[in-house]
Amino acid sequence: MTTTLSPEPTATGARPSAVTPADLKRAGARRRERSARVKLWVGGVCTLLVVAPVLLAGVLPLPGPDEQDLAQRRLPPFTDGHLFGTDQLGRDLLSRVLHGGQTSLMIGLLAVVVSGLIGIALGAAAGFFGGWVDAVVSRLLEAQLSLPLLLMLLLVVALFGPSIPVITGVIAIAQWPEVARLTRSLVLVERGKPYVAAATVLGLRRITVLTRHVVPNVLSQATLVVLLLLAQAVLLESALSYLGAGPERPFATWGRIISDGQDYITTSWWLVTLPGLFIVLLVVGVNLLGDGLRDRTRRPRGLLRRILSRRPQEA
Amino acid sequence: MATYLAKRVGQSVLTLFLTITTVFVLLRLAPGDPAAAYAGPNPTTEDLERIRAQFGLDDSILVQYGTFLKGLVTGDLGTSFSFQAPALDVVLERLPYTITLALSAILVTAVVAIPLGVWMARRADTAKEFGANLLTITGQSMPDFWSGIMLLTVFAVVLPVFPASGFTSWGGLVLPTITIAILQIALISRMVRREMTTNMAAPYLTVARSRGVAERALTWRYAMSNSAIPVLTALGTRFAAMLNGVVVVEVVFAWPGVGSLVVRALETRDYPLIQATVLVTAALTVLVQLLVDLAYPLLDPRVRLAKTSKKTAPAVAAPEGALA
Repeated sequence: MTTTLSPEPTATGARPSAVTPADLKRAGARRRERSARVKLWVGGVCTLLVVAPVLLAGVLPLPGPDEQDLAQRRLPPFTDGHLFGTDQLGRDLLSRVLHGGQTSLMIGLLAVVVSGLIGIALGAAAGFFGGWVDAVVSRLLEAQLSLPLLLMLLLVVALFGPSIPVITGVIAIAQWPEVARLTRSLVLVERGKPYVAAATVLGLRRITVLTRHVVPNVLSQATLVVLLLLAQAVLLESALSYLGAGPERPFATWGRIISDGQDYITTSWWLVTLPGLFIVLLVVGVNLLGDGLRDRTRRPRGLLRRILSRRPQEA
Repeated sequence: MATYLAKRVGQSVLTLFLTITTVFVLLRLAPGDPAAAYAGPNPTTEDLERIRAQFGLDDSILVQYGTFLKGLVTGDLGTSFSFQAPALDVVLERLPYTITLALSAILVTAVVAIPLGVWMARRADTAKEFGANLLTITGQSMPDFWSGIMLLTVFAVVLPVFPASGFTSWGGLVLPTITIAILQIALISRMVRREMTTNMAAPYLTVARSRGVAERALTWRYAMSNSAIPVLTALGTRFAAMLNGVVVVEVVFAWPGVGSLVVRALETRDYPLIQATVLVTAALTVLVQLLVDLAYPLLDPRVRLAKTSKKTAPAVAAPEGALA
């Protein structure tokens, strides 16, 4: 290991001459803490750079996303007040991207909420009750792993139409297993703690113990995956809409804008490149936020150590 | 072993059956008329009825399901509406292309992601590792259709190094492979890093180091052998998912595989073709997962222990819970 220590003595006044493994570990933890902070800041800025204009799309002085002007077709960026240029029908690209982004973001958020609710409910029930409940939920999780997922999603969307509720539902179905698996394992650990036994002895019903005492304790950790899921949901939605299975009302979303522009890639690079960069910026931002939050709240020695040391947990 | 195998195969068959039945029911429940899609613009009522009768679409759903099951047993999955050929043959004809692409993508992923993940684990919490970390985050944040189009534009249009689409020569394999691998490398290398960091902090490694085992052997023989199973599982799952049709990438590169086939089948409501595609790809997925499960005893040192030297004994003795 080539870890170097910062010259100033550590807070506990460790001797710089005798570097113990504990010092090295502390230095590593500090680095982690610092990189988590960097991730949070950069992620926050990237996310804001995308989310703020998308939310303000209606207020900003932009031409409407569907206003065609055939005289101004495929103008490159920065001409005639079109910051992102115009597309093959003379529509302002920035305006299209921002308005489409509203739909993309809304679908992503809704999908994450729905999958989070299903995942936490089923995962917690499976972990807490065990027995046949656990068997059923675990089988469902396994079955979904072996299903051709994107194919099934495309199938459902192709058959029931690319409306916003259908697409939201489809993405939620694709994502709930991740939340369920995590919640289940967290609840399994939590179930063995003394306070659960105490609550049971006090005569609370099992369902009350689960919803009032166990779930609030695992919630903060279970919701940590949510940001990472949001990033995936945005990507999944854009892939569906690229394949023509995305919502078309009220506005075309990002994947659709890119697939529309694809035919003109050789002459009008911006039609594909800029909306894509927009997606990347958002997803990188959300991923960094999720990563940073997880690194920050994670105790250095992991879940097991925390449970062994029985530190009081935040509710 | 034999009972385990029988149980697993039974489970797999059940999964397949449920999957294909779900697809069958979904297709029939959904609005939309395959006859209309087949007949083309402005069909007459007689046309539609003739087509429905020809493909058995005027029977009740139960009768159709019965016919379908009978065909399933005899290996006859019906005639594709749009190709006018046995659906199974159409799918099997496309399958080698998807398998080729998936194999080359998973090979590239494994060759790059495993060393990268190990490297990140060994330099955990350094500035270089932070940089690599940011790169992998970017890699997993790019929509694959977008990175595909970008690669296509740069390396096939602006600099015509590789063919732009389809499978005309082996060079055509390069760009789709890279497109898929970017995302997979990001995911797998982060996973390898996580596993290796856990294992490299384990007490058995300190013991081995104190006995003078070289760092390289510590990393690869001690820590890696304990990370092998989760890594293999992840690679297997990814590979299985790719066999389902790397739909998006196949569409971008006009790759003649199963993925682009299924998109077309969905557009034309080609029921037999959709069913055949789902059945074949789901069967392959299940098969790959079964093979990965069967490979566990080969990789787990605890199984190998009885036969080979005791050199790896400390690694073996550490119970998994103690590593956390």
